[in-house]
Amino acid sequence: MKPSIYENSRDVFLDTVNAKDYIQLERVSTIYQSLKDSIEKPLKMVLLYGKPGTGKSMFLSKLHHNLASSQKVCLYKTPILDESEFFKTLAQDLYGIGYEGELNFTQFIKVVENKELIGATVPLILLDEAQLYSTPMMEKIRLLSDTRKVKFVIALHKTEKEDIIAKEHFQTRIWESIRLENASTSELKIYIQKKLMKVNCIDTASMFTQSSINLVHKLTDGNYRDVNKLIYTLFDIYVYYANNNSNKINKSEISTKFIEMAAIHTGLIDA
Amino acid sequence: MLNVNDLEIRHKKYKIKSYVPYFTIFAGVTIALISIASFFLYNSKVEISSELEEQKQPIVIQKTEVIAETEIKEKNETVQEAVQNKIEGTVAEPVAIKDNVKIEQKQEKVVLSPSLNFMNKMGSNGRTNNQELPKEIIIDIKQKDVEPKVEPKVEPKKAEKKAEKIEEISLDIDKKNPINIARKDEQEDLSHVIKRFNINHNPALSLFVAKKYYQLGDYEQAYNYALITNEINNNIEDSWLIFSKSLVKMNKKDMAIETLKKYISHSHSSQAKQLLDEISSGKFK
Repeated sequence: MKPSIYENSRDVFLDTVNAKDYIQLERVSTIYQSLKDSIEKPLKMVLLYGKPGTGKSMFLSKLHHNLASSQKVCLYKTPILDESEFFKTLAQDLYGIGYEGELNFTQFIKVVENKELIGATVPLILLDEAQLYSTPMMEKIRLLSDTRKVKFVIALHKTEKEDIIAKEHFQTRIWESIRLENASTSELKIYIQKKLMKVNCIDTASMFTQSSINLVHKLTDGNYRDVNKLIYTLFDIYVYYANNNSNKINKSEISTKFIEMAAIHTGLIDA
Repeated sequence: MLNVNDLEIRHKKYKIKSYVPYFTIFAGVTIALISIASFFLYNSKVEISSELEEQKQPIVIQKTEVIAETEIKEKNETVQEAVQNKIEGTVAEPVAIKDNVKIEQKQEKVVLSPSLNFMNKMGSNGRTNNQELPKEIIIDIKQKDVEPKVEPKVEPKKAEKKAEKIEEISLDIDKKNPINIARKDEQEDLSHVIKRFNINHNPALSLFVAKKYYQLGDYEQAYNYALITNEINNNIEDSWLIFSKSLVKMNKKDMAIETLKKYISHSHSSQAKQLLDEISSGKFK
């Protein structure tokens, strides 16, 4: 096995949010479909929540990628915390109106209300890391959604604080919440192998036995971000040994020792 | 940058660390097992030793039966001899005759008779036969059935069960066969001693009789036996003293003083001198 195959395998697991890297898993597909259905419904807001690393950003990215061709969709991966800047950005992205100077909420809502919808589709705004928005800001987002001229998909970490936000500002609104969870062992195996297969690393994909998948799942708890970090480091170790001491590599299956070493390096094991 | 060498070292440490709880559990379990095993071994040893003790106990009982049998056959033997037989029997006799003995034991009653051998031994020290023994000393050993007795020291339950089968030997003389030593009339004592003296002419006996008569106030007889003693052996000081005292008591003070002086002249006895002074001064009357 050439060292390059380990390098290719390693690079697949770079922790980036890219719609191209989206892995179609059964449960994830179901959730994605339900999200798409929710967007098509006359809902004002959709809440997407889950622990960090469960794939919320990836979902939004995938959704943006898929819908961009058919409707107006704006994805904001990082929150725009300044209120004027936020409304100015929305005015520019949704309606192509550039504002110089300040644009407050009253001015912007007037703009939104006066704009006629193009066709039957409502422009979609995807807000990632929404837990970083302030409560007054969240209230203004809610009022914007009440105009039914714009629809929001909000992705946030499921914490106690986010729960309060959800209850206080969105409980009475017509909205849907979708919860994302960590991968199960079988999902993790499919996730890893599919990722490797995508770049034609069939040999390395076949090296993942059930026991090595179990160990990875045990160490990462199925968290996609942790899995990506771990497998990336794992193949980095393989690259090192392939270049320096190839005798230590067992080509038939992933070494438990290497997985543990990768876990130590990524901090999943406290050694 | 990935430092694989450092990672390997850290991994080694991690593995050692991860084995520590297993090792601790293993060590703990091993220690627990060893301690439990040793506890049970110790208990089993104690049980074995107690069983051995139990086994020993019936052997003693069986041997006791054999002894009883021996005693039945040799009725004329002394208790001491019987005890000797007991010791010999424990060594020589096998345990196998147990049942036979049991039957015999139940049918016959064992009778012990007192041995007179010790009297013969006493006779050899100055007495010629049993008739000379003082009658006032009576060793009252009644002839009784001898029952084998089991000592209920070890494992009382089992011992009791076995004891039911076997007749006990009771050598407890203190309870059942008391030895009564009764002193009878002093005159009788004297007559016994006089009889013995008449046979062996032992001056010690005649002196004893003289002293006894003197104590009883029979000064004439005291005088006579003191004189007899003196005739047998004139070096016995007490015979002179009793002789003199008896003379004083018989109102023959001068004769007593003369006798003492004669004795003092060749013996220089201080005791005789003291008596002489007392008689002369009138202190002794």
